[in-house]
Amino acid sequence: MSAIDRARSVIEGYDGEEIRIMEVCGTHTHEIFRQGIRNILPENIHLISGPGCPVCVTPVSFIDEAVYLALEKDCTICTFGDLVRVPGSSKSLQTARGEGARIKVVYSPADAQAYAREHPQEQVVFLSVGFETTTPSSCIAVWSAKEEGLENFSLLTANKTMPAAYRAMMHTTDAYLYPGHVCAVVGTKDCTDMLAEGMSGVVCGFTGAEILTALAVIVKKHQEGEPFFVNCYPRVVKDEGSPEAVALVARTMESCDSRWRGIGDLPGSGMQLRKELADYDARIKYSIPKIDGRENKACRCGEVLQGRCTPEQCPVYGKACTPEHPVGACMVSSEGACSAWYLYGRSRGEKA
Amino acid sequence: MCVGLSAKVVKVSKGTALVDASGARREVSSALLSDLEPGDYVMVHAGAAIAKISGSDEEEADSLMEEFLL
Amino acid sequence: MSLAGKTVTLAHGAGGRQTAELIREVFQKHFSNPYFTADDAAVLPVPEGRMAMTTDGFIVSPQFFNGGNIGKLSICGTVNDLACMGARPLYMTCSFVIEEGFPMDRLEEIVSSMEKAAAEAGVKIVAGDTKVAGKGQVDGLFITTTGVGQIADGVNTSGAHAENGDAILVTGDIGRHGCCILLERDEYGIEADVRSDCAVLWPAVSAVLEQVPEVHVIRDATRGGVGTVLHEIAAESGVGVLVDAESVPVEAAVSGVTGMLGLDPMYLACEGTLVMIVPDEKKEQVLEILRRQPHTEGAAQIGTITDQEKGRVVLRTQIGTQTYLPQPGNELLPRIC
Repeated sequence: MSAIDRARSVIEGYDGEEIRIMEVCGTHTHEIFRQGIRNILPENIHLISGPGCPVCVTPVSFIDEAVYLALEKDCTICTFGDLVRVPGSSKSLQTARGEGARIKVVYSPADAQAYAREHPQEQVVFLSVGFETTTPSSCIAVWSAKEEGLENFSLLTANKTMPAAYRAMMHTTDAYLYPGHVCAVVGTKDCTDMLAEGMSGVVCGFTGAEILTALAVIVKKHQEGEPFFVNCYPRVVKDEGSPEAVALVARTMESCDSRWRGIGDLPGSGMQLRKELADYDARIKYSIPKIDGRENKACRCGEVLQGRCTPEQCPVYGKACTPEHPVGACMVSSEGACSAWYLYGRSRGEKA
Repeated sequence: MCVGLSAKVVKVSKGTALVDASGARREVSSALLSDLEPGDYVMVHAGAAIAKISGSDEEEADSLMEEFLL
Repeated sequence: MSLAGKTVTLAHGAGGRQTAELIREVFQKHFSNPYFTADDAAVLPVPEGRMAMTTDGFIVSPQFFNGGNIGKLSICGTVNDLACMGARPLYMTCSFVIEEGFPMDRLEEIVSSMEKAAAEAGVKIVAGDTKVAGKGQVDGLFITTTGVGQIADGVNTSGAHAENGDAILVTGDIGRHGCCILLERDEYGIEADVRSDCAVLWPAVSAVLEQVPEVHVIRDATRGGVGTVLHEIAAESGVGVLVDAESVPVEAAVSGVTGMLGLDPMYLACEGTLVMIVPDEKKEQVLEILRRQPHTEGAAQIGTITDQEKGRVVLRTQIGTQTYLPQPGNELLPRIC
């Protein structure tokens, strides 16, 4: 029997007490739907789509800041494609583009920096979102800009770190599917710290085989009754992570308080550029005024992120809020729970 | 949150590496990994190699199954 | 007369001497056939039976890409649309909107590609129109082609004709044109040798229909790719579409590129790949015919039509589970973070 079949029989044959498993990472949410994994779960295994989609947890005010830079300060905004359609208080970057803003989709922060080099007449701002996995790439771009003496490149940061979110969510779930690529960068210490606090979890990769195996390991270990931690992605995740990446981030950024859309302020969960790199901090460089973003009150993205309600329990889901006209961030990002439910037909309780 | 793709290192230069994923090639930063060599497999995310890869997902699944489920 | 160094000017669109020169030096030279007209309309014999007629506008940036150019594309697109209805392409018209300053030799290269593609399809270009737009009003050049074709007796294809039990075939690997254009635009620093699948498919379709006229559906998987076409067929025929993910042919480099950008080849455009839905008992014969024809050597079955989950597209995954193939929606944006 193949490992996939064995894992499936463990999962599908489970008939014990209810297990709530949170897939922290948005890429896991996406893959779990794409691979049809929810459709084989028995009724007593619940998957909750957690806070690990940077697009979903980035507050409305961040989009407002980016729109402000694009329209009021005539900056060129370089961004990952994921953020282009996220609604701000009054407009998204896509809408701003229609009004003449220069919005450029890039593959990496380094590409944004290269764009700045090639367009010295433009002021280029990279929208630096993402977790531990993505933050080092932004740091590389900043140092590279500094070395080259580029004066027209800066970051609008909304980088976040996971441990505060792990703690904020730990009472809503029995075990975490830890984000494999966050752990690839920072190692497994955050996970073993959580274990010491009694929280179970496994590090999980991103292929169908890896997700199934990780879920099977959770099902097995959960039945033993003791908190557990297993690295189910050892081919990529080493305990120590990438010391180079950790050191690079430490000399580029410092932690700050950060607002998570739908969850609220989590102290020490954000990253911003260190004071000595203030020249590359778009908030300082362009004296962005304080913006209080207005979220749509009817949207329940925050509760969805915490597993307190399912997308279909939200009053705007599938009505005012669809992937074409998203109200909340969980509908915009293809990694968001609401978008995945909608696109993969969970709304009508259907099973493919 | 972190789409990654495994790719093979083709060439290493100062601070960068040329990687190949099934014939799709791209220059990525190698600043996060020391001692990369041509032939290594790496996980690529947002223009940087973030980890070396040892083995395939099937091998990994097999050994986890042996360890925890038998 | 050499065209090198010359450009298209507003005078070429003014209807005078220079317009006549452009038509003579570029268009007539390549589109020459007994029906090609200098009069106000082409005069053509009326074929017997049923006709199919279609029109399509082409804007592509860049205009030249690995495996073709906008000219070849403008013939293939319309010829393949006719082929999808089982129609032998007979006559075409083409209308150009050219940006002032467009290099004349590039224009000729485009027109020459149209000539070649039209010859391969056996279609005659019988009338045309040229307009020149001021600098910045169009991006290089736009081409609109219109085609008419004669439908073979006994052939009756439609997106509404898929039936329970039918086999779903594709005529080759998917997503190559969309991937090629993505690479040509060079926005993401990725290099790969991906050639557009842009091709004339009438000879292959004709070979199939001669022996198997009872093909139910033929549709070209252009904008929106195979995924979009499957959704259309599920809705129009009111059937379930079951696709086996592992059997969908995707070139390795296309997988590599889409993997890097978090895109799905199912939604990338093809310009030389059709979805064909045929009765199950005919599928081997159709595949065998296709595999002997140019441009369809890679034909494969990717799924079956069912009476379950009507109107939906269900994907059987590599790990043996089933999931819905999402409805295609917005602009394709890379997913990174």
